[in-house]
Amino acid sequence: MPDRAGTGPSLLRQITRRLLVFTLIFALVDIVIVVVTYLHHPEALAQELLSLEADRAGGFADPAAARLPESRNWSARIIRPATPADAMLIDWTRRDRIDGGYRITGVRRLENSPSPRWILIRFDAIGVKPFLPVMMNELADHVALPLVPLSLLLLLFNIISVRRTLAPLRRAEDEVDALDPDDMSLRLTVPGEPREVDTLVRAVNRALARLEKSVITLRDFTANAAHELRTPLAIMQLSLEKLPDGATKAELQSDTDRMTRLVGQMLDLAQADALVVDDLTLVDLAAVGRAAVALLAPKSFAGERELTFSDNGGASVNGHAEAIFRIYRNLIDNALAHAPGHTDIIVAAGPGPQISVRDFGPGIGAADQAHLFERFWRRDRSGVDGAGLGLGIVKQLVDAHGGSIVIESPGGGGALFRVHFPDVPTANGTGPGAVARPPI
Amino acid sequence: MRLLLIEDNPRLAGLIRDGLHGQGFAVDWCHTIADAETALQVNTYDLLLLDLGLPDGDGLELLRRIRHRKDTTPILVLTARSGLDDRVYGLDAGADDYLVKPFQLPELAARCRALMRRPGAALGTILTCGNVMLDTAQRSITIGTHRVEAPPREGALLEQLLRRSGNVVAKAALENSLYAMDAEVTPNALEAVVSRLRRRLAAANADVTIRTVHGVGYCLLAPVAAAQVADA
Repeated sequence: MPDRAGTGPSLLRQITRRLLVFTLIFALVDIVIVVVTYLHHPEALAQELLSLEADRAGGFADPAAARLPESRNWSARIIRPATPADAMLIDWTRRDRIDGGYRITGVRRLENSPSPRWILIRFDAIGVKPFLPVMMNELADHVALPLVPLSLLLLLFNIISVRRTLAPLRRAEDEVDALDPDDMSLRLTVPGEPREVDTLVRAVNRALARLEKSVITLRDFTANAAHELRTPLAIMQLSLEKLPDGATKAELQSDTDRMTRLVGQMLDLAQADALVVDDLTLVDLAAVGRAAVALLAPKSFAGERELTFSDNGGASVNGHAEAIFRIYRNLIDNALAHAPGHTDIIVAAGPGPQISVRDFGPGIGAADQAHLFERFWRRDRSGVDGAGLGLGIVKQLVDAHGGSIVIESPGGGGALFRVHFPDVPTANGTGPGAVARPPI
Repeated sequence: MRLLLIEDNPRLAGLIRDGLHGQGFAVDWCHTIADAETALQVNTYDLLLLDLGLPDGDGLELLRRIRHRKDTTPILVLTARSGLDDRVYGLDAGADDYLVKPFQLPELAARCRALMRRPGAALGTILTCGNVMLDTAQRSITIGTHRVEAPPREGALLEQLLRRSGNVVAKAALENSLYAMDAEVTPNALEAVVSRLRRRLAAANADVTIRTVHGVGYCLLAPVAAAQVADA
């Protein structure tokens, strides 16, 4: 399964965080506005403070004793109108500048009483401290009260809208995961809306179309190149077989063989580059190894080399049977090219998900090991044998399997190529699938 | 033995036809799928040699159509395609064998013979390798000019090796053809039969050798075949 966890915070979290920061900034600005407004309108502040104190002191039996702690010269008394005419009293506030502050005087009607009552209050407010409760009230009324529900609503709205906006992206993600390199005609479903996702999906689809085109071009090219190169080679081969035996025929045969091999390897390399290994097929490393040894044994007899196969408990791995066959074949070909006559070449599968090919040739120096998998690299450039592509193909095929290849210099001389394949995960309980038959 | 060759390149087709003619095959040649369909309606063939890239379509389509009408004529695909999946596609589509161009004529002839010798073709055949000859109908072995008697198991082993001479035959395949399904086969029973057959061949001055491929199987090599392999 592809790793779907992703990195970085989710969009939802990002938006929530930004919204919170935004709310805080908004609240601060609001507070500053409220404070500045009142500082510019001290009479309004005085009015508010008086109303507040009237409400508070009116609740006491003796308002005169309910002094505002931060005030001086507190006096307060209840006025009960003796006649209905007296009930014409109205609320008023007066603010007089005194030394270091204000003297605030005023009347307020008390609401929570059966008969109309007023309260007359006078006090001196020195400094800002007496006004703080008013400020707090104002902030609560004008900042907190509207902002908290608004923020919560915004947050909720955002969560819903982000979820909705991201739904097509999530579907696109599923579809991208399901894309199959073998079926390049697959496209993502165009969501229509939102436009941003729609354009992204369309852009991905355009990219997929370009990829499909280039894959088809490549596939057609390799198929056409194979046909165009191999048909004349086949004609050459069959024509030269009609020639009388002799030195010329032998030379031509050897040239044709080299050409055939080179064409085969270049096509193999192109195909190896395009190989994508799925994790659906299990390949038995030992069975494929046996098939490869069976194919190449007659060639090894010709050079009086003993090709042997040893199953050391080779495992089954996720892979492409024909590709693994070609890994074996190219490694054995390489060993055959370097091992002298009357020596052994030991091909082994296992233990576990690894294979190895060991020869008793001259071995590979540390300096050469670095170049060994480079394409067209040969130790001896004047050598006539091979184009230096075999091990490049091996490397490419091993990489496509997510495996690794190492060169060892075992005791006893020679070189040992060891290919490790990734373990087959067994945890998911689905059990191994069908084991692919070896290609022979 | 009559073959139908379906190949669009006239020079290659001519070379294959001449070459196989020299090996005793009669070869008809078509260069399109349409011609091949007509030829298949008119004649009966022992074997089809099919190129895949044809001017009027993909040879695999013809292959599927032939198999779809339950025609079991052996089909050998001759193609330039050697992709990682091409061989599997070809065999899955119903081909009996798959040979990538270019090929040597003896190899092509050997594969043609192997396909026509499949069980089902009831006719007995004479198999040869070096100076060893085995008549599958008479169950008789001749080495050089002398008739050699061998127990049935050794005869069966020699037949299997002769059928695929020059190639390695897997141990499991040999055991399957030498012993009944339910027979207990000890690990070195086959080895013992092989070494008895080796001694018998050597005693009769056979020029073939049975090579052991450790861990895989056995291979019958003629001295000439060994030389040919060296070139390849």
